[in-house]
Amino acid sequence: MAAADSPSAALRRDLCSRGIRLAGKMRADVADLLDAYVEQQGLDPSASVAAMDGVPLAAVERWDEQTGTQRLLENLAAYRAFRALLAQMLEEQREQLGEADAGLGRALAAVLLQVSAFAYHLEELLRLESRGIPGEEEEEEEDGPPPLPRLSLFEQKLRGLGVLRELAQWALRSVRDLRQLAKPSPAPGTAPGLADSP
Amino acid sequence: MFSQWSWVACGFCLVLNICSPDASSGLVQSCGHIIPESPVLALGSNFTALCILNESCLDFGNIYASQIIWKIKNRLVPKEQYREINRTVSSVTFNDTSSLATPLTCNILADGQMEQNIYGITVTVGLAPEKPKNLSCIVHQVSRFTYVMNCTWDPGRHTFLDTQFKLRYSWPEEVFPDCIPKDVNNSCSIADIQFFVNTEIWVEATNALGKAESDHLVVDPIDIVKPLSPQNVSVTSGILPTVLQLTWQNWISYAVMTLKFNIRYRIVGETDWMEVPSEDTASQRTSFSVQGLRPYTKYAFSIRCMKEDGQGYWSDWSEEKIGTTIEDQPSKGPPIWRIIDTSHSPAFWTVHLIWKALKPFEANGVILQYEVTVRDKSSLSCPVKKYNVTSTNHTLQLPEGTYEVTLIARNSVGPSPASVLLIPASNSKAPVKNLRTLPKHDKLWVGWTAPNSYVLKYVIEWCLVSSSSDCIIEWQIAQGDVQGVNLKGIKPFKCYLITVYPLYADGQGSGQSVKAYLKQDRPSKGPTVQTKKVGKAEAVLTWNHLTVEEQNGFIRNYTILYKTIDGNETVVTVDPSKTEYTLSSLTSDTLYTVRMMASTDNGSSTGPDFTFTTQKFGKGEIEAIVVPVCLAFLLIVLLGVLFCFNKRDLIKKHIWPIVPDPSKSNIAQWSPQVPAKHNFNSKDQMYSEGSFTDVSVVEIEADNKKSFSEQDLKPFDLLKKEKSTSEGHSSGIGGSSCMSSPRQSVSDSDEGETTQNTSSTVQYSTVVLNGYRDQTPLQVFSRSESTQPLLDSEERSEDHSGGADSTAQRQQYFRQNGQDETSTDRPCFERTKQITHADEGDLVGFVQLQISGQSSQPLGLGMEKNTQEAALSSVLQTCTEGQTVRPGTVEENPLSVDEMPKSYLPQTVRQGGYMPQ
Repeated sequence: MAAADSPSAALRRDLCSRGIRLAGKMRADVADLLDAYVEQQGLDPSASVAAMDGVPLAAVERWDEQTGTQRLLENLAAYRAFRALLAQMLEEQREQLGEADAGLGRALAAVLLQVSAFAYHLEELLRLESRGIPGEEEEEEEDGPPPLPRLSLFEQKLRGLGVLRELAQWALRSVRDLRQLAKPSPAPGTAPGLADSP
Repeated sequence: MFSQWSWVACGFCLVLNICSPDASSGLVQSCGHIIPESPVLALGSNFTALCILNESCLDFGNIYASQIIWKIKNRLVPKEQYREINRTVSSVTFNDTSSLATPLTCNILADGQMEQNIYGITVTVGLAPEKPKNLSCIVHQVSRFTYVMNCTWDPGRHTFLDTQFKLRYSWPEEVFPDCIPKDVNNSCSIADIQFFVNTEIWVEATNALGKAESDHLVVDPIDIVKPLSPQNVSVTSGILPTVLQLTWQNWISYAVMTLKFNIRYRIVGETDWMEVPSEDTASQRTSFSVQGLRPYTKYAFSIRCMKEDGQGYWSDWSEEKIGTTIEDQPSKGPPIWRIIDTSHSPAFWTVHLIWKALKPFEANGVILQYEVTVRDKSSLSCPVKKYNVTSTNHTLQLPEGTYEVTLIARNSVGPSPASVLLIPASNSKAPVKNLRTLPKHDKLWVGWTAPNSYVLKYVIEWCLVSSSSDCIIEWQIAQGDVQGVNLKGIKPFKCYLITVYPLYADGQGSGQSVKAYLKQDRPSKGPTVQTKKVGKAEAVLTWNHLTVEEQNGFIRNYTILYKTIDGNETVVTVDPSKTEYTLSSLTSDTLYTVRMMASTDNGSSTGPDFTFTTQKFGKGEIEAIVVPVCLAFLLIVLLGVLFCFNKRDLIKKHIWPIVPDPSKSNIAQWSPQVPAKHNFNSKDQMYSEGSFTDVSVVEIEADNKKSFSEQDLKPFDLLKKEKSTSEGHSSGIGGSSCMSSPRQSVSDSDEGETTQNTSSTVQYSTVVLNGYRDQTPLQVFSRSESTQPLLDSEERSEDHSGGADSTAQRQQYFRQNGQDETSTDRPCFERTKQITHADEGDLVGFVQLQISGQSSQPLGLGMEKNTQEAALSSVLQTCTEGQTVRPGTVEENPLSVDEMPKSYLPQTVRQGGYMPQ
């Protein structure tokens, strides 16, 4: 880990800072998008959606015991998954509505971009951690390609709702993760953020 | 056979090719072509083109590269730029492509003369794009969730070519679609920009000659945001009169960025903005309390925001919102002054108290009323009088004395501090010194030197001086520590009277006044000059002062300009206090034109021209000439009189010849009919007898002149023949008829005494008692009492009245001293129209000549040589030698006409004659 006053440390802080704000904005945008999505798709906002395959869960046990690298890797894996899910949603959205609701499509695209940007932030941080960045293909090979089941329209809508809700949760978690990472290291060799909780 | 047809066909094709050089494809085959085909060339570079002839044309048309000529448009390219590479290829080289134009054609001179086009190309000359510079981007917030990044750059020089600009941006792992500018080449906008990721932005410029790329700009778009200004700004007044609460909403969410703010405010109606210190609003918020405001004042507020860390751009100012602070009690008492009117009675004042309404920032609310308290300081026993007034003046009737006036303004919150004015019995304190004014832009500065004593305040009064209306006083109060104030609302070109009073703790100083202008101009008109008196060499000019409205400034002097018609203009400068001036050294009897000019510091105006003529003679010159002339004339007259007096005998002899006294003549004894009458010397006696029944009047009529023409003398001859049968007209004989007016003759006849008293003396008159016309008169001869001299002049006048034609007859009867009066004056006898003999027997020797009032009868006079007149001539026996008249018959005194002396005919008074009134 780089020293606190080194350029890499400044870059890390900057990346963390902007990552935090990006995650915060992403959370706010996803919240707005969620409202628009529920309204536009005619769903019940209070409807509960069961966990679906391919959608990473934000909840984790022993969160405060995670190392910085672990946090980054889990975040990166999650956002890569969300990127694919959102891209699929956007595609489905275009198929369903065409250009009828361009606003929702633009909002989805914007969130997709933010997810991509955040993934980029995570990759940069991982580089600073001198850790190799797992390739998406490699990751996919390890985990296997995400299943692309043919769902009914309603199921697509429900899945979309679940994706957005989980993304909002991930955004919140990511803010906390990055805040942990942004904190100065208590001692050399110690994994950062172990003692902090969001 | 076939080969011959093919030759013909090829020849035909060649003609077609030559005639249609542009047809390079299809059925038509060109005889050559140029390489490169339609090149795009860099401006200023060199360029070489090749024209390659087809081999086939060489065979059929005898066309070779040496015959090629190059043309730019229709301009021949100099052959120095050609080069024959081989017999089918010719090149042309241009060292500078700026001399190129389109089209560049390859031509050939067929048969040495005939120019035919082989091929042509389009040449495009331009520049490669420059590197775009000064790339900058701003992310504009369009709505709550929408941001648009607008980037601008400097595209560089004009390329003369179609140049494409592209704005490109990317993330490290994501490249976004290019932004292609529309209609412009220096800006492009990207929608859906994403924050918190460093974005690489650059511009690419591409055209046929190359490609250029700007420097890459790496920026997180969140750092270049220009947010929307806060919305829904509202202003509410708080509990305190100096505080207003602002609230607003931010367009941008807290998650995206936190903001800092600027708050500005101003009093409504003013233009200057005040700003809340930026450190007070450097953090995210949605409300703020602005303090230190004036009570009861309208304020306008406006807010703007930007990213809290200062990166990015300030938003626009929000629209203004207005709020009003609540009232507070007045901060000071109104300035008060007084005008004392003592015109009714010096011992009893009419005091006009006047005060100024408090300014809004002093009143701190709506003034509900003023409380005036008057205390007589000269008498402690007098009670304090209080008045509640809603206007800004109050009039009191007070006896002369010293008073203290206190004024308080009150609004809904409370009273103001009191303003105190001391009104002393007299302004006996020291005045200010060195009062002066100085214009400063649109204000008039009034300065003074303070008196030695401590002055509480100064009161500056001023008013616009007008000739048509009273001075309306304006005033203001200055504190005692100042020695000058600026007067506002002063109009230029107007005269102001400014007075400064010092107010002391125990009295008041007398006022010092000065007149001043804020700005001067030339007078609006010049004085109208006229002359008061004009002499031979001087003229006194007068004029009236210009009214204060016409002056437009201080009149520094008057200038009189005068000249003759053809002379030079003379200029005289006159003190402005004068209204009269005497021009001297003028030329006499000369027309002068004079005009007058009034001058201020800023110019002059000339009045109308006035002309006058100097007199020919000076004062007393005419008297100096006339008096001596008159005196000389009088002296001459006097000398003449003296001369005449000395020579009176001689003159008398000539003018008044001695008339013989008929009473001493023999005829007195001769007349037997009226012996007694010869004793009458008085006409009274004659009248008393009542024998005079008629008075003949000698009327002199100008018309008679004509009637006495010579032709008229003939009838007179006839009359003379008929003298024995006279018409009975009595005639005044000669005498008075001739030498006096008819009136005089009557008077002489009527009043003998009067006649005697007259200086003119008719020595004789013949009183003829005669009836009118055919009546037989009683003839009386009487001696005339008249002493009237027989003047020639009278005779002449009689002559005139009688007519010149009677001269002959007169000559017939009279002759003066042998002088032959021929044809000049014959007055008496011209009027002798009829010679009447009432009784020839009685009146033998007398000729009664009656001049009838009806003088239209012709007179037969002047027929001297008529022998028939001899009888008549003989009637008038006039003693020529002894100056006596001797009436007698012709037989007794046969005198020739020539020998008749000048004599006087007796006046004829006829009974029943005409009596003139």
